[in-house]
Amino acid sequence: MIVPDEADPRRGNGAWRWAWAPAVASLMCGALLVACTRESRTIGPEQPQTPPNGANDPRIANFEGNAYQIAQGGRYFTWYGCGTCHTEGAPGRRDLALEMTRRSRSFDTVYALIAGHRGVPVDYAARIPIEQLWQISAYVRSLPGIKPELRRRQTLDQTGEPQASNWSGPVR
Amino acid sequence: MIRSRFALACLFALASCSGIQTPLAPAGEQAASQYSLFVLMLWVCGFVYVLVLGFLALAVSRVMRGAAADPVLDAPDRGLHRSLWVWAGIILIGLSVLAGGSFLVDRSLAAAQAREALEVRVTAHQWWWRIAYRDPATGGWVETANELHLPAGRTARIALGSADVIHSFWVPNVAGKMDVIPGRANAIDVTPHRLGWFRGQCAEFCGTQHAKMAFDVKVDTPAEFAAWLAAQARPAAALADTVAARGMQVVTQGQCAACHVVRGTAAAGRAGPDLTHVGTRRSIAAGLLPMNRGNLQGWIAQPQALKPGTMMPTVTLEPADADAAAHYLETLK
Repeated sequence: MIVPDEADPRRGNGAWRWAWAPAVASLMCGALLVACTRESRTIGPEQPQTPPNGANDPRIANFEGNAYQIAQGGRYFTWYGCGTCHTEGAPGRRDLALEMTRRSRSFDTVYALIAGHRGVPVDYAARIPIEQLWQISAYVRSLPGIKPELRRRQTLDQTGEPQASNWSGPVR
Repeated sequence: MIRSRFALACLFALASCSGIQTPLAPAGEQAASQYSLFVLMLWVCGFVYVLVLGFLALAVSRVMRGAAADPVLDAPDRGLHRSLWVWAGIILIGLSVLAGGSFLVDRSLAAAQAREALEVRVTAHQWWWRIAYRDPATGGWVETANELHLPAGRTARIALGSADVIHSFWVPNVAGKMDVIPGRANAIDVTPHRLGWFRGQCAEFCGTQHAKMAFDVKVDTPAEFAAWLAAQARPAAALADTVAARGMQVVTQGQCAACHVVRGTAAAGRAGPDLTHVGTRRSIAAGLLPMNRGNLQGWIAQPQALKPGTMMPTVTLEPADADAAAHYLETLK
């Protein structure tokens, strides 16, 4: 005897069993997009042209906690040779991760400290463009939240990049 | 109407047969051998394609002629059986010819060249090319950027390296393509034989400005090349006038010096392209704009507008200083 589809008892069970599939699929797709905002940024000419005017400058939100700006800051930290003195475990206040953990400083304070840094060999505010100072400040502020092994890996990833007036050649 | 559209489409297809960035107009030994492989593949595949379509047309016409008959099971056909063996033989021969040709070209590309003499190092950065030549006079390295000069009739061994991510070195007219991978020492031999300007391009997606990571390639006569290299090895040119003097002050004592070198001055940064002879180059910002004073000034003032995401930051300068800096750079011949 031919049983019509509607009368098949297994069909009802199957439909119930797969009812959750679209929901799970859309949830998984949603989960994939979650991290996208971590790197969202505006590229183009609208980059900061002036230092932050206080701890509540609305532009800070574009840099603080933004994975792209922090990574670029880390890159320029290497390019300008900051890492030569500010190494992991350096004595005193030179160990920036430790220093930033000890004393909480606002974004504009960190920016002012870097821009006003009178280290060897140059006056940083005169040498480092404003947009990059913003990124370096975001990087320095983020240091306590980055695990030492991740910081070390970033240093290793950048071995092919120039450091101040030294460049040892491409990644080998 | 349809015919003219078809002709237009054919013309578009032919547009890449000449020009400064095409594998179809080879100007070097390696490019020529790859082009010959391409021609071989075209003939073999074209022959098989025509054969397949011919048989298809034959089958369709046979069905149409004896149409409307009910499908029947054919009796065993000895002729068909034999022709299938012939068909398999054609495929086997075609594939063997292609594999053999590919093997021979690959072997010739990898073979050591008798005339290998010129050593060039090319390092890919996001998003520009650092190019260094061994100076025959001193044995040291002479650095430039985004413009590769090669002597005709001489093999250059180009050692490829990356400072950051994966790129790909591609100058289709002169050489083939070679990936540039961090941590891997790749090299490519190039023997150009036709003089002229060509265009190279990064051929592996490497970030936001991958499309604007090009470089100019100039094939010179050996004498022209020697003169060019000797000029590149010299420190920066003397100042042309007072505006250039102001420009030099801005460039070598300001923010530009943090990333750029101008040999013979205080500017000694290594992160960006060497500017010692930037005025001799054909374009700026990795093939983005032609070299001239106006473009230099625009690039200094708003690099993020011209190449969004570039590592070149906006340098805030007074208009007179920006003009002086552009003039100074333009005079660095």
